[in-house]
Amino acid sequence: MQLGLYLLRRIATGIPLILGVTFISFLLMVYFGPDMTFELVGKNPTAEQIAQVRIQLGYDQPFLVRYWHYLVELATLDLGRSISTGESVRSLLAETVPVSMALTLPGFVLGNLLGIGLALLAAWFRGGWVDRGIMAFSVIGMSISFLIIIIAFQVFFSSRYGINYFPVRGWDMRSLGSYLYYVTVPTLAIVFVSLGYNTRFYRAVFVEEIGRDHIRTARAFGAGPVAILGKYVLKNSLIPIVTRIMFSIPSIVIAGSLLIESYFGIPGVGKLAYDAVTTGDQPVLKAVVGATALLFVVVLILNDMLYRAVDPRVALK
Amino acid sequence: MKPLTTARSLAASLALTLALAGCSKPEPDAGLKVYRHSAAGVPTNIDPLQAATVYSNLVVVNAYDTLYRYKYLERPYTLTPNLAAAMPKVSEDGLVYTIPLKESGRYIDSPAFEGGKGRTVTAHDVVFSLKRHFDPENTSQGKWLWAGRIKGMEAWAEAGADYEATVPGLRALDDFTLRVELTAPFPQFVHTLAMGFAAVVPPEAVAAYGRDLGTRAVGSGPYELLEYSKQQVRFQPNPNFREEPLDLEAEGYDPSAHAAYGLADLDGKAPPFVDRLEIDFIQESSARWASFTSGREIQFSGLPVEQTEAVLASKDPITLKPEYAKRYHMESGPEAGLVFTVFNMDDPDIGYHEDPEREARNRELRCAMRDAFDWEARNQRFYSGLGIVFPGVIPPILEEFDASLSRASVAHNPQQARERLKAAGWNEDNLPVLDYGLVSSVLAREMFESFRGRMVDVGIPREKINGETFATFGDYNRALRTSKLSIMGYGWQLDYPDAENVLQLFYGPNASPGSNASNYDNPEYNRLFRQTKTMQPGPERTEIYRRMNRMLIEDCVGIIGLTRSHVSLWHKDVKGLPDTAILGGFWLRFVDVDAATP
Repeated sequence: MQLGLYLLRRIATGIPLILGVTFISFLLMVYFGPDMTFELVGKNPTAEQIAQVRIQLGYDQPFLVRYWHYLVELATLDLGRSISTGESVRSLLAETVPVSMALTLPGFVLGNLLGIGLALLAAWFRGGWVDRGIMAFSVIGMSISFLIIIIAFQVFFSSRYGINYFPVRGWDMRSLGSYLYYVTVPTLAIVFVSLGYNTRFYRAVFVEEIGRDHIRTARAFGAGPVAILGKYVLKNSLIPIVTRIMFSIPSIVIAGSLLIESYFGIPGVGKLAYDAVTTGDQPVLKAVVGATALLFVVVLILNDMLYRAVDPRVALK
Repeated sequence: MKPLTTARSLAASLALTLALAGCSKPEPDAGLKVYRHSAAGVPTNIDPLQAATVYSNLVVVNAYDTLYRYKYLERPYTLTPNLAAAMPKVSEDGLVYTIPLKESGRYIDSPAFEGGKGRTVTAHDVVFSLKRHFDPENTSQGKWLWAGRIKGMEAWAEAGADYEATVPGLRALDDFTLRVELTAPFPQFVHTLAMGFAAVVPPEAVAAYGRDLGTRAVGSGPYELLEYSKQQVRFQPNPNFREEPLDLEAEGYDPSAHAAYGLADLDGKAPPFVDRLEIDFIQESSARWASFTSGREIQFSGLPVEQTEAVLASKDPITLKPEYAKRYHMESGPEAGLVFTVFNMDDPDIGYHEDPEREARNRELRCAMRDAFDWEARNQRFYSGLGIVFPGVIPPILEEFDASLSRASVAHNPQQARERLKAAGWNEDNLPVLDYGLVSSVLAREMFESFRGRMVDVGIPREKINGETFATFGDYNRALRTSKLSIMGYGWQLDYPDAENVLQLFYGPNASPGSNASNYDNPEYNRLFRQTKTMQPGPERTEIYRRMNRMLIEDCVGIIGLTRSHVSLWHKDVKGLPDTAILGGFWLRFVDVDAATP
C-alpha cells in the first residue's frame, strides 16, 4: 500500500518534469531548429507551393496548438511519420532502440565492472604506484578524443595496416557469432573511453569510504583486503554506484552513441536522433525527447526503489 | 580446493575459446557474386517524388525504370532508350512527344500486385507517375521540372487531382504509347525523363505502401531492393527484368580508354551480372577509406582529400603510386557541376540600387572582390589542387563550355582590385558591412576565413565581411532562399547535361525563393534565356548561351567557378567503370565481379 502510494506520488511529480522538458525542447525545435520547407519544395517553387508545404508540415499553426498536438501524440503513442523518410516514427524507434542497446550495453557493463575493479585497487593502494598507474591510465583515456580512439581502433583491428580481423562497418544480430563479430571493436572503444571516467569517479567514492571509522575497525580486527573491499567498502558505496548507473540508462536506451554508430555504420537511435536534429525532422525529434523524459521519470522511481533495496534505512516516502 | 580452481580455469578458458570461435564473419552471401559500392552521402527518401540527391537518385534508377537513361561510356552524356522502345517522335513545333514503350518491362513480384506477381509496365503507369508530382497531397521535389510545361496538368491538380481524369497534355494512347503535349517547346524534356523523378511507379504500390515508398521500392528496374537503411541498401537482380544484352559499341566503348576495366568480357551478355548489389552510405571519409582498403568490405571509394598526397604519384596527370596502382583501378575527371560564390543583387549594399551611380560603384566593389579572390589557392587548399578553375558558369563537362573565354575573371589580381576600389571611391570607412553565409563546420569556417583574408589583402577591413553562421544546411538554405545574405557560396550538380540547367540559376523569374540565389535580374539576359528555352541544341543556341555566360562575367554577379575532379578507386576484381555523377547511376546494372564470395 505504502509502495503503491509512493509510486502514484512519484508519477504525479514526474508529469511536470515531462511537461517542462517537452515544452522547452519543443520551443527550441520550433524557433531555433531547421526549417524543412526549402528542403522539400524543390528548386523553383512558387509562393503557393511554399505555403502548401508549410501547411503540410504544420508550420502554419500557432505554437500552443502544435505543442498540444505533441502532447496528444505522446499520450496516444501516435508519433506520426518521419518527414525525411516517411516511415512511422514508432517503427523507427522499435528498429533502432534495440540496436543501440545491443551496441552500447556490453561496453557499458564492462566499463563499469572494470572501472569498479580498478577503482577498488587504486583506492586500496592509495598513493602507491598501483594507484598512480591506474590514474595515469584513466587520465589518458579521458584525454584522448573519442573520435581519435574510434579511428585508431578501426585502423588497428579492421584495416590492412593492423590485424584486419574485425569489420569496419556493418551490423548483424542473427547469431551470437555475427553479433560478436560486429560489436567487439565498438565495445572496446566504448570501454577504453568510459573506463577513465568510471575509474576516477568510483575511486573517489571508495577512498572516502575506506577512510571511515568502521573500515579502520575492521582492519584492526584483522579483516583481509578482499573482505574489507567486498563486504564493507563496496557494499556501503552502492548508493553512488546505483545512482551513476541508473542515470546512464536513458543515454544507453535512447541516445545511443552517435560517433560509434556513424563510424561503424550501425543503424541505431543515436544517428537517427542526430539526423533529426540537423535536418529538422520534428516528428522523430519530438518522439526521442518525449521518450527520454519519460525514461528519466521511470529511472528516478527505480532509483529510489533501489536505494531502499541496498540500504534499508532509506524510506520510500 | 586446488582441483576446483583448476576446473574453473579450464571452464573459463573453454568459454572464452568458444566465444572467440563463434566470433566469425557472417556470410549470408556465400556463393554469390556481390559488388559492394559506396557513396559519400545518405539517401533520406527513395520515393521517386523525392529523388533530389545523387544518393536517392542512385537507388531510384536501379530499383525503378526511367523511360530514358544515359549511355554507359559515351561522353559527353548521351541519351538512349531505357524503358522507352525508341527516342521520342517530336512534332515539328516541338510541342508533342510520342514515346513508344517496350512491352517487356515488368515489375518485381510484390504483395502490392494481385496474386503477388509483378505485371507488365504500361504507358498508363508513366502517366500516373508524372501526375503524382502534381497531386497536392504529395510533396514533390521534382515538380519544378515540369511545372507549367505539360498542357492541362495544373488545371488537373486544381480540379482535385483525380487520377481517373485525363490531363490533355499527358495521355497513354494505348498500353505502350505515351503522348506528351507541352505548353511550349522544352528541348530538355527528354533529359528530365532520364531522372529519378521520372521513375515509373505502379499505382498498386502507392495504394499499398503510400508514404512507406520512402524506404521501400516496387519498380521494374534492373534490381529488386531487399533492404534499406541509412547505412546500406541491398539489392538482388530483378528476376523479371527484360533481357537486354550489353552492346558495348552502342554504349560508347573505346578500347584505348576502357580496355583495362574488363568490360569486353561482358559484351553481349544481359545484365545485371552480380547476384547482390550493396551500397554502403559512409559520410565519414576515414571509415570509408578503412573499409575500402581492408579488402573485405566496400570495393569502391572516392579518394578522400586527406589521402591525396599518400595515394597519388602525380596530380597532372592524375596517377597512382605503384602500391595502389597494383591493387586498384583508378579513373578521374571533372564532376558534372560546379562550386561558386554569388553576390546578392537584391542587397542595395552590393547589388542593384535605385541610384545608378551607387549601382555602378557596387559593380566595381563586386568586381574588386572577384579580382581579390584567389581560385588557385582555393583549389590547392580545399580540393587538393585537383579542381578545374574556369570562367563563367558553364562547366567544362558540357558541350557548350567556352574554352576560348578570357580567364581574367578567375585570375587573382589584387592590384586591380585595389585600383577598382579606389577609382569607385570605396575606402575603409564607406565600405558596407556584408553578410557572408556559412554552415557551422570547420571546413566552411576555413573557407570563409580564407575568403575574408583575400579581401583584407586588398584593403577591405575584416569587420566589413561578417560571417553569418548557420547551425545546419537547412537553416543556411532558408537564408539563401529568402535573400537574407549578401555573399553566398554553394555548389550545383547538373540535373541534366545542358547549360540551361546552370544558366537558369541567374534567370530573373527564378529569383528567391527559386534557385537564382543571386537574384540577378538582367532584362537582356532574361530575354535571351526565354529565347533559348524553346531552341533545340545547335550552334545558334550555344552562341546565345555563351553570350549569357559573358554577361554574368561582365556584371560580376559572382566569383565563378570551379569544377571539382573526382578520383574513383575500385578493386581489381570488379569489372566496370564507376560513375558518381547524378546522371551516371545507371552504370550499376553493368557491374560485375570476378568471383563469388567464398
